[in-house]
Amino acid sequence: MAPGIIPFPVETHQLDNGLKLIVVPMPSNGLVSYWSIVRTGSRDEYEPGRTGFAHFFEHMMFRGTERYPADRYQQVLIELGADSNAFTTDDLTAYHATIAAEDLDRIMALESDRFKNLDYSETDFKTEAGAVYGEYRKDKTEPEFVLYEAVRETAFECHSYGHTTMGYEADIKAMPTLYDYSRRFFNRYYRPENTILLVVGDADPATVVTGIEAHYSDWQPGYVAPDIPAEPEQTSEKRVDTTYAGKTLPLLWLAYKIDRADPGNRLRAATDLLVELIFGETSDVYRKLVLKEQSLEFLCADTNSNRDPSLLDIYARVKDPDSIEAALTALDTAAARACEQLVDAGRLEKLKTRERYAFLMELETPDSVAEAFARPIAIDGNLSGLETLYRTYESLTPLDLRDAARQVFRSDRRTVGTLRAT
Amino acid sequence: MKKILLPVPADPTVTIAFSFAIGSQDDPPGKEGLAALTADMLTQGATEKFLYEEILEQLYPLATDYDVTVDKELTTIDGRVHHDKLNEFVDLMTDAVLRPAFRNDDFERLKSDAINFVGNSLRYSSDEALGKAALTSAAFDDTRYAHPVDGTVAGLEAITLDDVRTFYTTHFVQARLTLGVAGGYPDDLPDALETGCANLPTGKSHAPPSIDFAPTTGRNVVLIDKPGADASISFGFPLKLARGEREFYALWLANSWLGEHRHGASHLFQVIRETRGLNYGDYSYIEAFPDAGELQMPPVNVARRRQLFEVWIRTLPNDQAAFALKAALREIDQLVEHGLTSAQFELTRQFLIKYSTHFAPTTSDRLGYRIDDAFYGIAGAGYLENFRHTIKDLTRREVNAAIKKHLQTDDLMIAIVTGDAAGLATSLTSSAPASIDYPNPMPAEILAEDKLIAAYPLRVDETRIRTRPVATIFETT
Repeated sequence: MAPGIIPFPVETHQLDNGLKLIVVPMPSNGLVSYWSIVRTGSRDEYEPGRTGFAHFFEHMMFRGTERYPADRYQQVLIELGADSNAFTTDDLTAYHATIAAEDLDRIMALESDRFKNLDYSETDFKTEAGAVYGEYRKDKTEPEFVLYEAVRETAFECHSYGHTTMGYEADIKAMPTLYDYSRRFFNRYYRPENTILLVVGDADPATVVTGIEAHYSDWQPGYVAPDIPAEPEQTSEKRVDTTYAGKTLPLLWLAYKIDRADPGNRLRAATDLLVELIFGETSDVYRKLVLKEQSLEFLCADTNSNRDPSLLDIYARVKDPDSIEAALTALDTAAARACEQLVDAGRLEKLKTRERYAFLMELETPDSVAEAFARPIAIDGNLSGLETLYRTYESLTPLDLRDAARQVFRSDRRTVGTLRAT
Repeated sequence: MKKILLPVPADPTVTIAFSFAIGSQDDPPGKEGLAALTADMLTQGATEKFLYEEILEQLYPLATDYDVTVDKELTTIDGRVHHDKLNEFVDLMTDAVLRPAFRNDDFERLKSDAINFVGNSLRYSSDEALGKAALTSAAFDDTRYAHPVDGTVAGLEAITLDDVRTFYTTHFVQARLTLGVAGGYPDDLPDALETGCANLPTGKSHAPPSIDFAPTTGRNVVLIDKPGADASISFGFPLKLARGEREFYALWLANSWLGEHRHGASHLFQVIRETRGLNYGDYSYIEAFPDAGELQMPPVNVARRRQLFEVWIRTLPNDQAAFALKAALREIDQLVEHGLTSAQFELTRQFLIKYSTHFAPTTSDRLGYRIDDAFYGIAGAGYLENFRHTIKDLTRREVNAAIKKHLQTDDLMIAIVTGDAAGLATSLTSSAPASIDYPNPMPAEILAEDKLIAAYPLRVDETRIRTRPVATIFETT
């Protein structure tokens, strides 16, 4: 077997309560990144009126416990000089702090306490809702955000991937009324079986294991899996045309349904590489539309790696409002060609090299390593999926990519979105 | 030419930087955006050897590219590559900097991109970034710092390909260049790069344009009238202090307590967001921090001779803007009047000693700081080292003296992006207390403090308020 993609040792450990720990020692000038990855995100917002709640709840995790009230929690982070924050995506919520290795035990005490004993007042809850609304206010001015929100909503009939992590504005407005629900949310999802700790940097795995045992063993299990409705098969093309109250170039967004991320699924892995070759910077269509004809200002395409079936996004900024349909036709032609012709084997090999080196280049600091690992960990529940994925990439042939194109590039399984300035 | 070497043999990557003492301050009047567009032509255009599409093709398996940061005073082209791929990368990157082709098709594409950015994105897609740019523009009015680094629509439209060629020949010269090499590079790389740079004209040392702005007096307001917008506030004034002076570190410590960027350590964040939930964050700065919405740690290669003290109040409802502004000004007044307490001083010092270890976690970051050291004339161990040593031995007296000397709220420029310019102009000039409502019952001590904030005199005279339509801001003065 070829050597693995991860150039560091990886130590894993599991507590009796189900909490998983992954330690990745790497030389890092005395710094350690400490990540708590909860396998809950906006995907878990399946109940009506609850969009945006996972992200909102991320904010509430900073509102303190009996032992460390919010101001005391903040004070400790200041004393530690921690570079810390949190973020929420569709499949995960991550809480991260980079600290001096000597402070590892203090951060374990601090973090374990809030995961076990979070306790906030209704007043704090309502106050934080204002801050979250503020976050939405700053985002909603981006035309990309406006279109992204519309495309997602159109693409999914019932799955919770139909809304963004930020949630709908009406639901954000109503958040202050959901204090009781927030306690239920915590009790359902913030459980050891649903959480993975990732510790990267100048840390001795055995010492970390001892510390984690000491701080987290009494965390009670009790995870309740979300009842997320399965998305029915899409059978016809959907279209959403939106407007933007400002000046912008027109935007075009194509969202094709794709399988869930599964490192061993050859066609799903082939789709990752396919979009790069068909729509990336070195593709024929990019050269034609962006560089030569210059009818597009920008073109990019990417697959979303998600726990459930999700979307492949192709996104373009079109220079002339009257050329949106022509751009769509040109992108369709490129997709159709990918279903018929094999990609050049040499280009595919170059892309594999690129993927491998790009991944290695990312692994620069404890924080960047943890960031690169967080999503695969949240999706697969471990790091071995990442090794599998890169092995799958290595084994792919032009035939695999053509098969992937035939599976994915179907107009009856896509949503077309446009945005124009009013 | 200056040369900065930062060998890190264990680093599997190599970073190369060509940093030129060229910035938007060098844009000829009427051609605002020329420096940035020229830089884009180097990094996103053809070379004598290859079309841009061929360059992309060759960069592809290297899994990297080179990029440019253009600011008011510096243009820095840098790239990082795995040492396995070094030779191919060096050839492509040096060709880009030293042997550009300046083809018309690249020019048309990049000029159009730049006009779209300045005309559309900068104005409409982020009110916070717009507010910051408007503050800088107003505070440095009538100087070569005033226009956005990316230019103006009129300036960009006036630029020809010949302008780009001429600007390159006259400005991208050895005398303005700092060459940086860092990471696990082979011994002969620096000399090879230096030899290659002989291809550039020698040039001669230059005097940067004067940034003598008219001093701000009184409290001045620019309202950027953008229909439908919530309020995004930035305010501040030019500082008479630069990186390297001991007082600078003292003021840094004070500012870290007042408004540490995107950190709960920020007192303004605690007052406006954590306690009152008015918005997403509230921070202050004593050095330029472009892309503040994206970055956590201070950026490199945006060194400037003149800096602003700047407060950033993130987007909030228009009817809460006056209250939030009062809250921030009142906190600064109190800081100036009372200084930091011993406990605040000690905690912030302890915070910064550790927090500064995150400023430059990568070799590329450290090279970036070294390039800035060359700009500021900081010799020896450099700024990062000096920062830690100086913060360690600062006294509270020094910090409080720096606060008294450099911070004030009497003479200010305030920029607010708003969808309610008329309403805001009224509330800013009104002597009536600014009201504030919460969705929830607040503790009595907060409500008591709110009364003090609400009654804080804004002292804005209506003759000091200018309203600018978003569509034409930056275009005319």
